[in-house]
Amino acid sequence: MSPEEIQQIFFTECEESLAAAEGGLAACKAGTQDADTINAVFRGVHSIKGGAGAFGFAALQGYTHTFETLLSDVREGAVELHDALIDLLLKALDTLADHVTAAREGGEAPDDTGLIRAMEAAMAANAGAAPASDPIEEPGQTTDAQSGDDFGMDLDSLLDDIAGVFSPAAKAATWPFHVRPHAGAMKNGSEPLLMLREIVSLGGVCASCDVSQVPPLDGFDPAEGYLGWTFAIPAEVGEAAVREIFDFIGDDCALAAGAGAGIPPVAIERSAPPAVSIIAAGRPAPVSAPPVEETAERPTASTAPASAPAAPVAGQSIRIDLLKLDRLIDLVGELVIAQAMLVQRLDGAALAATEELGLLESLTRDIQESAMSIRAQPIGSVFSRVPRILRDLASSTGKHVKLDVIGESTELDKTVIERLGEPLTHLIRNAVDHGIEGAEDRIAAGKPAEGTLTLSAEHRSGRILIAIADDGAGINRERVLSKAIEKGIVAPEAQLSNEEIDNLIFAPGFSTAEVVSNISGRGVGMDVVRQNVKDLGGRITIESTPGKGTTITLTLPLTLAISDGMIVNVGDQTLVVPLTHVVESLRPAPGDVQGLGSTRRMLNVRGRFIPVLSLNDALGAGTCARSPEESVLIVVDTESAGQAALQVDDIQDQRQFVIKSLATNFRPVEGVAGATILGDGRVALIVDVDGLVACALASSEHATVERLAA
Amino acid sequence: MNSIILPARCDRAAAEALWPELVAAMGASATKIDGSAVSHVGQAVLQLLVSARRSAGGASITPSAALLDAAELTGLTAELFEGNEP
Repeated sequence: MSPEEIQQIFFTECEESLAAAEGGLAACKAGTQDADTINAVFRGVHSIKGGAGAFGFAALQGYTHTFETLLSDVREGAVELHDALIDLLLKALDTLADHVTAAREGGEAPDDTGLIRAMEAAMAANAGAAPASDPIEEPGQTTDAQSGDDFGMDLDSLLDDIAGVFSPAAKAATWPFHVRPHAGAMKNGSEPLLMLREIVSLGGVCASCDVSQVPPLDGFDPAEGYLGWTFAIPAEVGEAAVREIFDFIGDDCALAAGAGAGIPPVAIERSAPPAVSIIAAGRPAPVSAPPVEETAERPTASTAPASAPAAPVAGQSIRIDLLKLDRLIDLVGELVIAQAMLVQRLDGAALAATEELGLLESLTRDIQESAMSIRAQPIGSVFSRVPRILRDLASSTGKHVKLDVIGESTELDKTVIERLGEPLTHLIRNAVDHGIEGAEDRIAAGKPAEGTLTLSAEHRSGRILIAIADDGAGINRERVLSKAIEKGIVAPEAQLSNEEIDNLIFAPGFSTAEVVSNISGRGVGMDVVRQNVKDLGGRITIESTPGKGTTITLTLPLTLAISDGMIVNVGDQTLVVPLTHVVESLRPAPGDVQGLGSTRRMLNVRGRFIPVLSLNDALGAGTCARSPEESVLIVVDTESAGQAALQVDDIQDQRQFVIKSLATNFRPVEGVAGATILGDGRVALIVDVDGLVACALASSEHATVERLAA
Repeated sequence: MNSIILPARCDRAAAEALWPELVAAMGASATKIDGSAVSHVGQAVLQLLVSARRSAGGASITPSAALLDAAELTGLTAELFEGNEP
């Protein structure tokens, strides 16, 4: 693994740590302030610090150190966790996220001097004021590396302990800490010396190094760990803080603390060679431990760590290169196609292998679903960024917004999740900036001063629905319409339904904000959002009730690799129309289709006229088009041009198809979204409904508006 | 007189490469180990040096600043460099 890859993993873990810390602080704010929650926050920040140190991100490490120290005070009960402090911690977490981003992108570290000062003030103001309330643990019992995580130290009793041990007053201010890295601590690029350096940075001083276990060269194994250390740690540094340094390597490093303990014994993984005997290995620290206590404590010291380096619990998850996963999905796609081909071939040969074919089909579907689920991730990873956005908005707009999240465990494809972040951010900014009113207006309207933003995600019939709902003023339709007329987006005499007015906010160049802020109002937002969502194969709808709020709903496919479609025939071609666009299909009665001008034809759908597009003409299929009455019309919904009817010869089938990109395999073709392979092995083009309709109607933009007005 | 030059980066991989060399170089007199180019050193090489010092014949190590620093951090200064031939 190259250093870049390891660094990549570090940043991935940073994201996870930040999310965990964010979640913990949110829980604290909601009132759950137990030790586990605070520990989760602490661990998140701590692991970022550890990685930052290992990779040499000095600014990040320095910042996390301050942050961690404050959290450590909170954890040990030295500082009381009140609302103002939680807000400070949240702010600190936001800056930490900026620091991580700066480190990842090699950018400039954010300005953190003010925050660091605030954090230091929070610690210094209370330092030592409240004694640690955790139960006192006997130093001799704390040799198990696992237990070191959660307890605080009673410094007073420890001081007493040590005062009895060390006679000079100067030395009484330290306590011994023993470290014995095993073979595993040197594997995979981890380096015990780096951790020793961290101990030193906490103020520790190396008291002694146990070299007694180092064999002569001929019995030496470079992979084993032979050295053990005793460090003198200043009394003001808690044991937990020191143990945290070794969190990363867990059982690979035996630790012991306190005057009574010795350096844990070496653990040689192979069957012990004669040169190094495990029984002889339980040698205590030669210097710092006084002889009297040493004999008394030796049994505990040497037996407890020996059991600690047990086999680590197998990981519950693994990281996989996305490319490998994509390859698997690709192959599964091929399998689906091959299976369909087999079915078709056997059908043609009139072979009765129905049972086996059915089995194969269900297995193929299962494999496909499992492969897809590997890529699936809970949407919570996107939602978890929202509190940060809201905090930023609160500080820039002064609007405080409460967040409700529903269904954050809903899973969808990783690619969709990755590309969802940006449009979602935009919608949330819009909701807060335009939707939710200022506190005074809200109180005047009889609503609570704090606005509420509800994010929800759910599965519905093979698609995912994400709703962003605010309880703001709703869309001011009069203003939207007058702005749209002013900007020339609609004709002044147009009569639009409420729904059509609401949808105007997605029109390119539209903005109602009176003041262009850096949050929104430049009018480049919502149409880009709609485009992003459309690129994901999704749709965006808006519902608004004046005075009650606005809900924007995104409907997205669960995956980008496989989709549902209608297989249609046009001339001698087979095409696929993605089902997401299809509203209905019908065979028109005579008189339903009427001519408009010389070439255009309109379909009368329940009193509403929509343009008819012949796929035959549009794709240049080259055969003579049938009359509309002899063909099938598929009514489709498009994002940019309203509804249209696609004229095809007939509908063959409706089924799932595997999307193959034309852009990668050939080149992008206008009006074609991609290709798929049919059961008989032929390639069928997937119609890009939006592109095709927009392109065909482009020459008559005004006609569209008039049609809307009609 | 045998002399072994330590690489700049003395990590575990380096220790594995150095070990057979040190075993081969061991003899009646002290093995000369030139560590003046060392810029980074880990536990694996440190304990290998300790082992070499304690083996028959011993070893005389010429340190670099980084090596001295690591030895001080780990409390091995005396163990590694005491009685070194200049």
